[in-house]
Amino acid sequence: MNEQRNLWIAIAASVVILVGFQFFFAPEPDPQVQEAQVREQLDVNGTNTPQAASNAPSVPGGQQQLAAPVVNRDDALAKSPRIKIETPRVEGSIRLVGGMIDDIQLQDYRETEEPNSPLIHVLNPTGSDNAYFAEFGWVAADKTVGVPNSDTRWTASSNELTPATPVTLSWDNGNGLTFKREISIDENFMFSIKQSVKNDGGSDVTLYPYGLISRKGEPKTAGFYILHEGPLGVIDGTLTEMKYQDLVEDGDVEKKTTGGWLGFTDKYWLVALAPSSDEELTTRFSHHVADNADKFQTDYLGAARTVAVGAEAASETRLFAGAKEVSVLDQYANEFGITNFDLAIDFGWFYFLTKPFFLFLQWLNHLVGNFGVSILIFTVLVKAVMFPLANKSYKSMSAMKKLQPQITKMREQFKDDRQRQQQEMMALYKREKINPASGCLPIVVQIPVFFALYKVLFVNIEMRHAPFFGWIQDLSAPDPTSLFNLFGLIPFDPPQMLMIGVWPLIMGITMFLQQKLNPAPADPTQAKIMMFLPLIFTFMLASFPAGLVIYWAWNNTLSIMQQRYIMYKMGV
Amino acid sequence: MSNLPGSDVGLLARLLQFAVRGYQLFLSPYIGWSCRYQPTCSAYMMEALARHGAIKGGWMGFKRIMRCHPWGGHGYDPVPGCGCEQNKAPSEDHNPRITALSSCK
Repeated sequence: MNEQRNLWIAIAASVVILVGFQFFFAPEPDPQVQEAQVREQLDVNGTNTPQAASNAPSVPGGQQQLAAPVVNRDDALAKSPRIKIETPRVEGSIRLVGGMIDDIQLQDYRETEEPNSPLIHVLNPTGSDNAYFAEFGWVAADKTVGVPNSDTRWTASSNELTPATPVTLSWDNGNGLTFKREISIDENFMFSIKQSVKNDGGSDVTLYPYGLISRKGEPKTAGFYILHEGPLGVIDGTLTEMKYQDLVEDGDVEKKTTGGWLGFTDKYWLVALAPSSDEELTTRFSHHVADNADKFQTDYLGAARTVAVGAEAASETRLFAGAKEVSVLDQYANEFGITNFDLAIDFGWFYFLTKPFFLFLQWLNHLVGNFGVSILIFTVLVKAVMFPLANKSYKSMSAMKKLQPQITKMREQFKDDRQRQQQEMMALYKREKINPASGCLPIVVQIPVFFALYKVLFVNIEMRHAPFFGWIQDLSAPDPTSLFNLFGLIPFDPPQMLMIGVWPLIMGITMFLQQKLNPAPADPTQAKIMMFLPLIFTFMLASFPAGLVIYWAWNNTLSIMQQRYIMYKMGV
Repeated sequence: MSNLPGSDVGLLARLLQFAVRGYQLFLSPYIGWSCRYQPTCSAYMMEALARHGAIKGGWMGFKRIMRCHPWGGHGYDPVPGCGCEQNKAPSEDHNPRITALSSCK
C-alpha cells in the first residue's frame, strides 16, 4: 500500500521533472504568435518612435524613413549602388545610399553540414524581411544642420574594400560641412570606421558621433535557457544580457559607459560595436515597431564635438560582424582594448573553468583533428584527475554491495528507529573494516566541472558541423537516427519526441549498467526513481547535441570499467 | 514529495529541501555517492533544514559537507539539537515521517 503510493509519487516526480525540463531547456513557444500580439498592442498605442520629441540629442532609429515594401535579399541588394567587400573570410557589400554595412556573408560557415548548402549571412540588406545592419553618423545639436542620414548618397574613393585597400566615403552637406568615413576591414571579422567632419562653413557646429545596429523581426533563437541569444554588451565593465522580449515588454535600456562593446548575438554569430575605449558613451538598447515589424536596435552616442570654423573633428569605432571564434575575439580584446570581448560567448558562471576547458579542447582538436575524439580524450583526462578519489569511493561502495544482505536485514530489524539504524550501519562498517569513502565534498566540487564541460560542448562554434564517425556528421546537433524507425530501416518519420538515436540509447544502457554496480538505495522512492532514470535520461538527452551524449556515454563506460576492475580485485 | 518532513518549516527551508530531494533522486544516483557519515550529507541537510530552518539548518548542512572529505572525520554524526528551542517545531524526533529520510544517496 505504502509502496504503491511511493511508486505513484515517483512517477509524478518524473513528470514534474520532465515538464520542468521542457520549461527551462526546450525551445520556447512560437515567438511569432507572441510577437503578433505585442505588435497589435503597440499599433493601438501609435508608432513607438525612439527619437520622440526631446531636445536631447539621440541616435536615429535606423532606417525607419525608408518604408519600402519588403523584398528578398538579392532584390534589396540591387536597390542601391554598392561597394564590394572581399576578404579571405568575408564577402559582402556596403550600401552607398546611407553608407550602411548591411551585407556580410561568411565564407567559412554554411547553414547545414551539406557541402553545397548556402553560406551564412550575418548581416542582411535594408528593405529585406530580415534586415540587419550597422549604420554610423553624427547627430547635430542644432537640428537644422545638415548631417548625413539613411538617404545620403555617398561618394566612394574606390568600389572595392579589401584588407589591403580601405575605402573612404565622402559627402558635402552643401553648407560647408564635409563628412568623411574611412572604412577598413581586417583578415577576419573586424571593420574599423573613422568618421571625420570638416567645417568650412560660417559658424561653429556641435556634433555627437553615433553608431547603431538595427535588426528587423525577432530572430528565431534556439531558446535554450542555458544559452543567451539576443542584445548584449559589456557596459562599464559588466556583461549585460537581455532578451528580445524584455525590450518589447519593459522598454528601452539606457546606460553610460566608457569603453566596452554592445550588439546582438546569436548562438554562433555576433554583430557588435566597439567604439574607442577612452570615449564616454551613452548606450541604448531599444525596440520599436515600424512597417508592421519589430525592430531592435543597439546604439551608442559619443561625446559632443564642437567643430569650430575651419576645424575638423573625428570619431573612431569598430564593428565586429562574424563568427564567435574564441581566438579571434581574444585577439581583438588585446589589440583594441575591448573590455571582456570574449564574454560574447556565453561561457556562463563557471567562466574560470569553461574557458580553459574550451582552449584545451581546441588544442586537442588541433592535435588529433577530430573534435569527437578530443572530447573522448578530455574525458579520460578528467577521469584520471578524479581517479584516486573515485577509486576510494568505488572501493567503499563495492564493499557495501558485498554486505548488502546484512544491511537489508539490519534495516528490517530497526525499521522504526532510524537513529539505531545509522549507528548499526556504522558499527557494521567498523566490524567489516570498510574504509570510509572519499566524502561528499569532492563530489560537490565535481559538479561545476561537469557543468563547465557540458557548457563548452554546448556553446562552442568549433563543434558546429564537426563530424564524429559514422552517422554523426554534426556533434552540435542531436543524433539524427531514431529507434522508432529502426534507425532508418522503415520509411517512417517519427515525431520529435521519438527521435531516440543510437547514441542516446548507448548512453541509457551504460547508465543502467553503472547503476547495477552500486548497492541499492535504502529509500524506496529513490530506488524506484532510479529504475526509471536511465529511461528518462535517454529521452531527455535525445534532443541534446550528439557531442554531449557521446561524452556522457563514454564517461559512464569509463566509470563502469574502473568500478568493475575494483570489484574484481575485491572479489565482489 | 509527501515525505518531506515538517509541514511547518519556512518557505525557504522548503525550497532548499526540495532542491536536496531533487539531488537525492535525480543527481546522486548518477554521480555516485561517497559519504563518510551516517546519516549522509543530504539526509543530514534535509533534517537540519526541517529542525533548524533555512539559515541555521542550511549552514549546519553546509558545514557537514565541508568536513566530508578524504581527510575529514567519519562515522555516526546526527544533526545536533532537538529543535525544541524553536517553539514552532516541537518533538520532530518522533515524527514518523522523518524515518523516510534515512536514505543515503
